[in-house]
Amino acid sequence: MGTAVTYTEHELVSLLKDRDSKAFGYLYDNYSGALNTIILQILNDVELANDVLQEVFINVWKKIESYDPTKGRLFTWMLNIARNASIDTLRSRAYQNSQKNRSFPDNVDALANRPSSEINIDNIGLKKVLEKLKEEHRILIELAYFKGYTHEEIAEIETIPLGTVKTRIRNALIQLRDHLK
Amino acid sequence: MNIQEYISSGIVESYVLGLADHEERAEFERMCAAHAEVRKARQLFELALEEQAMMNAITPPKNTKSKIFAEIEIAAENISATTNNQMLSVPSEEATRPATKVVSIGWQRYIAAASIGLLLISTALNLYFFDQYKSYSNRYETLMAQQTEMAKNNDVLRARLDTYESTLAMLRDPDMAVIKMPGTNVPTSPDSNGVATVYWNTRSKDVYLMVNNLPQPPSDQQYQLWAIVDGQPIDAGVFEVQNAAGLLRMKNIPRAQVFAVTLEKRGGSTTPQGPMYVMGKAS
Repeated sequence: MGTAVTYTEHELVSLLKDRDSKAFGYLYDNYSGALNTIILQILNDVELANDVLQEVFINVWKKIESYDPTKGRLFTWMLNIARNASIDTLRSRAYQNSQKNRSFPDNVDALANRPSSEINIDNIGLKKVLEKLKEEHRILIELAYFKGYTHEEIAEIETIPLGTVKTRIRNALIQLRDHLK
Repeated sequence: MNIQEYISSGIVESYVLGLADHEERAEFERMCAAHAEVRKARQLFELALEEQAMMNAITPPKNTKSKIFAEIEIAAENISATTNNQMLSVPSEEATRPATKVVSIGWQRYIAAASIGLLLISTALNLYFFDQYKSYSNRYETLMAQQTEMAKNNDVLRARLDTYESTLAMLRDPDMAVIKMPGTNVPTSPDSNGVATVYWNTRSKDVYLMVNNLPQPPSDQQYQLWAIVDGQPIDAGVFEVQNAAGLLRMKNIPRAQVFAVTLEKRGGSTTPQGPMYVMGKAS
């Protein structure tokens, strides 16, 4: 990076809206790693994750006009873009795999393409925090946040009532918050 | 439900993480707008989440950044190209000022052509002037050498001029007596054409000699000037004929009736030994 320039979030957003490529470089340098982690944790595939990361930053650049600071921080906005893009990719790929390779286990590709670095992506960040939760809570966050399933889908998969899904997810999130602090 | 209960219901986390449904989102945004505590709680969770994410960052491959930048530059070009096209296709502008438009494009073309022309001329001139520069540089070196040589000559000439000026000043002096010594005054002179002149300052008694015409002596001999005082020859100094361009300063002679030049052995004699060449009377 080489530059010691730092921006306040307000300055950064205003520069990004002015299409300042230097500010965009700063944004990338600062946040690409954090977003990369969440993308890797959802996709479990280095190559796919890299494609999605590029897509995310291009979308951030294109859609910065639609970012509304009254609704949350810039990172929150970008994190949601990253999560949604990852889940879209996961779902389209899972669908393709299920169509093509019905005889193979779903996660054969994912296992073959796992990140080669020593970092175990299941043992850092939000996933690590999840391990501190009770199993019944952990599973629901896993399905809702990392797999992108709707409450209805989760109710079906876990064969528990929809109301219970909602309550458990809320409780899981409260615990998650306490562990984050 | 009061505000505190709402905040601790998990809605904050659900909203921030993108797990809330459409209805919940709308309600949460209304609550945020209305209650500072809700906003505060949202910000706290956002910051905690962000901090945790930053601490667990995994740097993506190095070339990812350049790929993204390449993409957004193409996107930026497309945007500006679209904008330009739109500007060109604004109908009112075309309709109201078509003539100006054509003229202005013509101008631009001429200016572009002129620029290229000027660039070519400039390049050619650069090459030409560089050549000229080299040539002038060489000539300058030569001129500098010549100038140094001339300065040296000038010093020599100035020294010679100083001599002539001082000579002239002496000759102009009213106290200067001129005593011409022709060979014809000496019947026994080896060279009857010989002539020399004594300039004698009657005030300072300084004696100067001008060699008008005397033959070149052998190298072991020298001419000697004598002042004859009451019949006695007094040595007034030896002199060379060669490079005797101006006046030769001789010895100071307070009194004399006659001046004469003899040819003596090199270094001179105490009394005249050799033949007398020229002679003149001081009057």
